[in-house]
Amino acid sequence: MEEIVNVEAVSRRFPLDNSPAHHPAHRFVSALTHANLRVTAGEFLAIAGPSGSGKTTLLNLIGCIDQPTTGRILVDGVDTSQLKPAGMSKLRRERIGFVFQTFNLIPVFTAAENVEYPLLIQGVSSGERRERVAQALESVGLSSRANQRPDLLSGGERQRVAVARAIVHRPALVLADEPTANLDTHNATQLIDLMHGLNRSLGLTFIFSTHDARLLEHTERIIRLTDGEVVSDTASEGGSRG
Amino acid sequence: MAKFLLLAFRNIFRNRRRTLMTLFMVGGGVAGLLLAGGYFAFMTHGLREDTINSGLGHMQIFTADHFNRDENRVLDTGIDNWRQVAASVKTGSHVRGIAPRIDFYGMVSNGTKAAGFMGSAVDPEAEKSLGFITHIESGRNLDPKPSGEVEALIGNGLAKSMNVGIGDGLTVLAMTSDGALNGVDVQIVGIINSGAAERDARYLRITLPAAQRLLQSDRVTNLVVGLDSTDNTDRAYAEMMPHLNGLSQRLELKKWIDLATYYKQVNSMFNGIFLFMGIIVFFMVLMSSVNTLLMSMFERTREIGTMLAMGTPRAWIVALFMVEATLLGVMGAVLGLAAGNLLGALLNSSGLHMPPPPGYSVPMPFRVRYVPLEMVGSSLLVIVSLALASILPAVRASRLRIAEALAHV
Ligand SMILES: Nc1ncnc2c1ncn2[C@@H]1O[C@H](COP(=O)(O)OP(=O)(O)OP(=O)(O)O)[C@@H](O)[C@H]1O
Ligand SMILES: [Mg+2]
Repeated sequence: MEEIVNVEAVSRRFPLDNSPAHHPAHRFVSALTHANLRVTAGEFLAIAGPSGSGKTTLLNLIGCIDQPTTGRILVDGVDTSQLKPAGMSKLRRERIGFVFQTFNLIPVFTAAENVEYPLLIQGVSSGERRERVAQALESVGLSSRANQRPDLLSGGERQRVAVARAIVHRPALVLADEPTANLDTHNATQLIDLMHGLNRSLGLTFIFSTHDARLLEHTERIIRLTDGEVVSDTASEGGSRG
Repeated sequence: MAKFLLLAFRNIFRNRRRTLMTLFMVGGGVAGLLLAGGYFAFMTHGLREDTINSGLGHMQIFTADHFNRDENRVLDTGIDNWRQVAASVKTGSHVRGIAPRIDFYGMVSNGTKAAGFMGSAVDPEAEKSLGFITHIESGRNLDPKPSGEVEALIGNGLAKSMNVGIGDGLTVLAMTSDGALNGVDVQIVGIINSGAAERDARYLRITLPAAQRLLQSDRVTNLVVGLDSTDNTDRAYAEMMPHLNGLSQRLELKKWIDLATYYKQVNSMFNGIFLFMGIIVFFMVLMSSVNTLLMSMFERTREIGTMLAMGTPRAWIVALFMVEATLLGVMGAVLGLAAGNLLGALLNSSGLHMPPPPGYSVPMPFRVRYVPLEMVGSSLLVIVSLALASILPAVRASRLRIAEALAHV
């Protein structure tokens, strides 16, 4: 199967500004240590772990928002360590969709305009934009809310708009860092189900993070992080994937 | 890209209070510049017309040699066949009329006392027909066809220093073309107060025939051309120039602006003040909006991080912020133009007066003139200022580190 993500022995250390300089060992915090992860096309994958375990760090690295201290990451066959900033930006623009914990919709844009944004920055023609925005909104069940501004939408609706925005340009990979953290249980379950449905119907690859174990019931593959280390991967345990 | 412009436009209205403050400042700057510039324009325009109507005229014809003249024998370099010259230029399309003059120098004496004068010999009817105003303090103007004695007007300063008044006689002495000293007795019929004390201390005016008799010559020093409107000066100048070529004497045509030294000084002073005010407004807008724009950039950190994460090119972020600021500048300028013009109209209809400036006895009306160039200039000034102010916030926004910006609360 086609490999979408390959994380090879990746570590990420952050410098600590206000640590005493004579303690070299404490000058860094290791957010991620020697992580390995392969994701193939069409997977629906969760990264689980307590707060501070390195979920955001790992997703940022895969999403080309951050760069590893050591190791390398291949996304859709591209070695991201070889990319210049503009190349990373292009990769994100064309191959990756993002869903954020705090929705992060552009407040002065309507739902439809928000969904349109990734197509806009790719220079897609307006006719095609309209068509694909309509499709994407339809697929998250929000066609009727197309012309609403985000502040008039509920939290659940906002995050569904964000999902539509993340899939409208048909990326190779959708990354969602704690997409349910600001939703109630009902909306959270609905959102995971929605993403799962899109994963099945469109064959889109999803990687999301959560610290809510209840949301992992129907997730095929779960990566567990503790203190920046991958402590378990249901795929390798089950042996059905890898 | 239209959608992107729309984004910029809508972003302007996100923080209404702050936008309003910026618009108020930018608009205030433009309106202030407009009112000040409009008032300056009114003043200089008034001075211009005053200068022209006090006898300078719109253009003057001299011989080329006039500018190297011997002050004692001004008619040696005078215009010879001036009647022909006047007749040939009088037909010009914007020409209202021609007034011949002799500007000459000499001495006046009252028998016990003598003083140098700067004289002007005129054709009173020609002067009158061109609408030239003589600022007569007391007495009357020169009679075009005096029956008896030679009449004279003198400046109030000269009258004082010679200790003479209306009805008194004076002897005017000047050198003829032959180099002989000649004299003529004149009677003072009026005292002039032109407002320029220096000039009035030496000024004497007699009629052209009297001066020609005194100087023993039929020539004049210059021909003053009056036009239908000051705005037509350049056109009339171009039209008249060819008529002055191919004559036996080499003649020169001067526009009023080349002869109005005082006007030029005042005008350039006002221009200097206006420029200075413009610079102040420019930097005020620049500095206060850098701050405001930085603030709004900071508030939108997470949103910018999101846009960058989704792969928006950094140049687009720069452009977004600069377009926003520029639009803000355009809106401020439009508001400022509206406010400035409205206030100007109110001012013009209010009939407000300023206390009289030194040397004048009547209060000056407080008015503003509309100067399109000033409107365009002050608008561009604030727009450019805002665009420049946005560079720092725009570049900062585009350089945000995405992971940090996304974690920003
Ligand atoms: N920019 C940074 N500078 C310094 N330390 C950082 C930085 N980003 C993350 N860390 C540290 O790295 C570790 C992992 O952080 P990360 O945000 O990846 O955890 P997380 O699993 O996403 O936590 P949460 O569930 O709270 O979002 C934490 O100890 C955090 O303090
Ligand atoms: Mg996190």
